Amino acid sequence: MSDQEGARPVIAVAMGDPSGISPELTARILAEPDLRGAANFVVFGDKRLLDLGITDSGVDPDVEVVADGAPLPAFAGRPIFVDLANHDPADLKRATPTLAGGRAATDNFRRALRFAHAGHADAVFFTPFNKAAMRFAYQGYDDEIRFVRDAIGFEGPASEFNVLDKLWNARVTSHIPLSEVANNITQERILRALALADTNLRAAGFEPPRIAVAGLNPHCGDGGNFGRDEIETIEPAVKAAKAKGFTVEGPFPSDTVFLRARNGDFDAVLTMFHDQGQIAMKLMGFDRGVTLIGGFPFPICTPAHGTAYEIAGQGIANLGATRAALSLAIKMAGDISQRRAAA
Amino acid sequence: MSAEVILPALPLALTQGDPAGIGPELTLRAWLERAERTLPAFAYIGSGDHLARTADKLGWKVPLRNCDWAEAAGVFPEALPVIPLEDASGAEPGRPDPATAAGTIASIDRAVDAVRQGKAAAVVTNPIAKSVLYQAGFRHPGHTEYLAHLAAEGGVEPRPVMMLWSEELAVVPVTIHEPLRRVPELLTTELIVETGRIVALELKERFGIAAPRLAISGLNPHAGENGAMGDEDQAIVAPAIAALQAEGIDARGPYPADTMFHARARAGYDAALAMYHDQALIPIKTIAFDDGVNVTLGLPFIRTSPDHGTAFDIAGKGIARPDSLCAALKLAARMAASS
Repeated sequence: MSDQEGARPVIAVAMGDPSGISPELTARILAEPDLRGAANFVVFGDKRLLDLGITDSGVDPDVEVVADGAPLPAFAGRPIFVDLANHDPADLKRATPTLAGGRAATDNFRRALRFAHAGHADAVFFTPFNKAAMRFAYQGYDDEIRFVRDAIGFEGPASEFNVLDKLWNARVTSHIPLSEVANNITQERILRALALADTNLRAAGFEPPRIAVAGLNPHCGDGGNFGRDEIETIEPAVKAAKAKGFTVEGPFPSDTVFLRARNGDFDAVLTMFHDQGQIAMKLMGFDRGVTLIGGFPFPICTPAHGTAYEIAGQGIANLGATRAALSLAIKMAGDISQRRAAA
Repeated sequence: MSAEVILPALPLALTQGDPAGIGPELTLRAWLERAERTLPAFAYIGSGDHLARTADKLGWKVPLRNCDWAEAAGVFPEALPVIPLEDASGAEPGRPDPATAAGTIASIDRAVDAVRQGKAAAVVTNPIAKSVLYQAGFRHPGHTEYLAHLAAEGGVEPRPVMMLWSEELAVVPVTIHEPLRRVPELLTTELIVETGRIVALELKERFGIAAPRLAISGLNPHAGENGAMGDEDQAIVAPAIAALQAEGIDARGPYPADTMFHARARAGYDAALAMYHDQALIPIKTIAFDDGVNVTLGLPFIRTSPDHGTAFDIAGKGIARPDSLCAALKLAARMAASS
């Protein structure tokens, strides 16, 4: 290993759902020269599915294949592919969620997470999963956060962030019924979400991150006419956060706060609930969005889009979000590996 | 919906709105830009003196001419037609004053009278400030409710429905100015059906869409994901869609609100129904920040307005953009021509 290669962050890559575009995205992204030059990759998957992606896309990332359980070689300029041999090609069904696909994807993800948790990688990246397939293989699969908690036994606060170019969206509540949102908006939760956002934004290079906080009600409650959550909870939380030194403003009406952020007034918007952020973020860049799962000891990144079954195997998938997701993982991993070196 | 300009035979009735807000200067600017924006003829119902003072202060040369409705369309190419009201001489830009409330309300009354008497094609309203009207004893919840009150026949008020419209997206919030925590309890199957019915009817009668297609959002994230995140989408929204379909209306959903507004999805419907205010306002503001229009459906006449407020903080400076007012004027004319 050259000194230069030793200084690069290590990214654990998990291959996603085999029935969609994940095999071809994995093959193509690992072949990108600038990303290969910026990090070392250890990929977890079934080599036969990578070969499928190579055939689909016509791009060969030239990986170094290692059998599962064999010692990992030193990095020598090629991605290391740990062949878990966990998906029989006979089970492959395009454009259909399958138990076999879910098993392979959960296995790949768990192995990548544990590899990073053991200190061998600085970040985890994965190509898209299919939720139905994940549920076939893993009862009670809600979202990635719960899976990660189970896989590495970590109980601290964690959250999903949506990233579009340089604009981030963090949320106080996520996958819960709308009727439960208001009662889950507390000063404590807002402050916790702000702190988590601040930490992750800093790891991605924002110094200091400028965070806008959205209101909960129409027009931020219009001075109390359409709800008092802003007056009683959100405004005091913003004030407390300012006192703690966060660069934060708000609450702002949620129908225009993203436009201000897009114009460069803020680096991130903290929304109170799922659709408040997702509607605007997906409208502003459906094809480029990145999902970051932050709060664990290492960042976990993936493209925000899904498995795109309708175009699986055609080699026409847009690589933009995948590239943005892996770039963010590398950027944040670099920050982590530097801090580790300094410690 | 094509962007083709269709002009109705009658002028549009444009209210003054709060004279301390940006309504007067937007009106002046719209008239000045009438040619490049291909605006339909409109007449301003308000104080010509106040309008003249506003123009003078801004250094804008706008000829004003007091006239009646029959003359307005003929006057419009040469001068801004004014249907004169009592002088709102107290009005100063940026300084709302309850003393001007009577004039603000009278302007609305006159506009409704004109359309109901067949002298004007549609009502286009400049923004008002409810708090100013309340201080003067106004007892209606807002602009739209007041118009419904004026439209009452035999003591029965029509149920107005707010639609936000742009060339790219038309969206209707089923609940509007309500605290978010109250939305789930206010949302009923009946409310969604009533709203959908009015939207479908108006798209047919005033937008010239023969078989309107409605897309209905879910209330919960991912439209509840089969009940995993709230049961309202199955228990309340889905039955409403079935009921609308049973009436022969092409209604579909419930769709996850975060994926139903991008361009490809929008191509599949003529109007979206959203379950709460921000679910409708976030997409329309994101897609059409400057030229969104607020349309009131369900009234016996056409009413549009810009989707912004009085903007007292910038009133009188001449920097407010007339895009939304101009879009409201053009849409009102188009609806009048399609009706």
